[in-house]
Amino acid sequence: MTSGKTKIAYAVLGILTVAGIAAWIYQLMGGLGVTGMNNGTSWGLYIGCFMFFVGLSAGGLIVASSASVFHVAEYKKVALPAVILSTACICVAGIFVLVDLGGIQRVWRIITGFNPTSPLCWDICVICLYLVINIIYLVFMTSNKDDADRKVAIVSRFALPVAILVHSVTTWIFGLQLSREGWYSAIMAPLFVVSAMDSGLALLMLVLGGLNKSGWFKTEKKLMSSLAGLLATCVAIDAFLVGCEILTMVYPGAAGAETLAIMASGVTAPFFWAEILLGLLIPFCILVFARNRENMGLVMFASVCIVIGVFCKRIWLLFTSFFMPNVYGAPGIISGSSASAHATGMDVWAVVGTYAPTWVEIVIVIGVISLGALAFLVLCQKLLPAAKTAEADGANAAAEGAAA
Amino acid sequence: MTRLAIAINKTRCIGCQTCAFACKMQNNVPEGMRWNRVITEGCDVEDGALGTYPNLSRSYLPIACQHCENPACQRVCPTGATYKDDKGRVEIDYDKCIGCRMCMAACPYNARVFNWNEPVRKPDFNFGDKEVPVRPKGVAEKCTLCKERTDRGEEPMCVRCCPTKARTYGDLDDPNSEISKLIAERHAYVLLEEQGTKPQVHYFE
Repeated sequence: MTSGKTKIAYAVLGILTVAGIAAWIYQLMGGLGVTGMNNGTSWGLYIGCFMFFVGLSAGGLIVASSASVFHVAEYKKVALPAVILSTACICVAGIFVLVDLGGIQRVWRIITGFNPTSPLCWDICVICLYLVINIIYLVFMTSNKDDADRKVAIVSRFALPVAILVHSVTTWIFGLQLSREGWYSAIMAPLFVVSAMDSGLALLMLVLGGLNKSGWFKTEKKLMSSLAGLLATCVAIDAFLVGCEILTMVYPGAAGAETLAIMASGVTAPFFWAEILLGLLIPFCILVFARNRENMGLVMFASVCIVIGVFCKRIWLLFTSFFMPNVYGAPGIISGSSASAHATGMDVWAVVGTYAPTWVEIVIVIGVISLGALAFLVLCQKLLPAAKTAEADGANAAAEGAAA
Repeated sequence: MTRLAIAINKTRCIGCQTCAFACKMQNNVPEGMRWNRVITEGCDVEDGALGTYPNLSRSYLPIACQHCENPACQRVCPTGATYKDDKGRVEIDYDKCIGCRMCMAACPYNARVFNWNEPVRKPDFNFGDKEVPVRPKGVAEKCTLCKERTDRGEEPMCVRCCPTKARTYGDLDDPNSEISKLIAERHAYVLLEEQGTKPQVHYFE
């Protein structure tokens, strides 16, 4: 039985998912030229969202498994919604890689031609492993058998390192590329793990807030305040690592300073400053005070800021390094995109990278996220004990209302 | 071992773009793509100049795949579609390419282009060498060092067509080849040496 509000949510998400699938079929027919990507900026919104969702996923699982590993009894209470969220997010991340492929019909070549030096290969392995661990985790957590608790504790010992690894390996797709000034840095992996924790935890708080409201899952206010404290700590560590990275980039006044100039005052500046403000400064200033952590409205506001801020971070990180070619000179790089196929003369060339997502990309991104949200709702309804009863009550109430 | 390569005399290059078009013709390169381009170094406009009048300078840089000894693109390719062949060329097996574009992110020279769409050719037929494979949409491509020509023992088309004879083709592993001698005598250098890719394509003044 499903109540009216949930039905509407399912319907809306379903329609958006179908729209996304339709746009993806359109992209398969026309090729990736229907996106805004081109030879200069060869990765776009899809890969940005991929990084973002791997992070969102890792965050939830890190909290859930630390609870088991370090025996934080309090946090164990939110482990189930955290792992459901983590499972939905990692599926979303995986789908983003698949929609970004130009030749998805040849994707099996990764298995037959597996190249052990490719970070993309490592990432595929670790994401699959991570998904499997998430599912095992869910199975054990919802099991009624006597030794389920012990099994959860065992799985959590694997889940925690794999959750950290999944985000590190995703970072290494970027962080190991010497050719890209803004990516190549040893701090990138820890930085990503921490921003995964703060964005993932912030999303978890938002989801817990939502579940609380719907009556699907009750979280004590005290626990929410405690999680908000952890969130503030993660934001502070994130800010520290970002600061280390920026200082190291700018200090020699060499190539790194040029890259920083693109971030601080160039094309990706709006995203950079949005991250500094929304992702770090505002939420930290709110959450650092115990009184604010008691106020659920403020905690939710800070969480929204963090999620948006970390998304902006993915955007500036990805695109800053595509902006300036290493070998600079006119006419630059030939675009190769659909738009340029109809352009004439010199319009197909660009001395610096340019990119703007097209409607196809945006519809696909919304569709994939809707699919993830749908999966999350279904899993919650099936696995959260309170959700079943709440929904049944809601449906009964709705039926009574209709009868009256 | 064989390490086929090209050395380019930059003093001789007049920026005529003949090599770029010879490459496009030979390799059936579609609209919106170049395997080989000639850039005016450091300038925002083509055929521009650096400096302040009357102290101006202009130099051209023909740039394509550098056929690196330590190719970043090959290292990151998940399917092994990009490989270093027995003649020292970096090649792509188009049947294995899944279009992830990891190679394009890794290449420091922006040497690669991608088939974003179903390839469009003007005129509307395959005008390249009949032995050159026609690439489908969704795969990456780049200079093959004219694989089909060099396999037949001919020199690459850009070398063949350069009107100022700025380009020299040969085997770096043969100390008596013209290219090896030129590189030694003319103090040739490579592009972005700090990237550690060890390009086989060399430049000299």
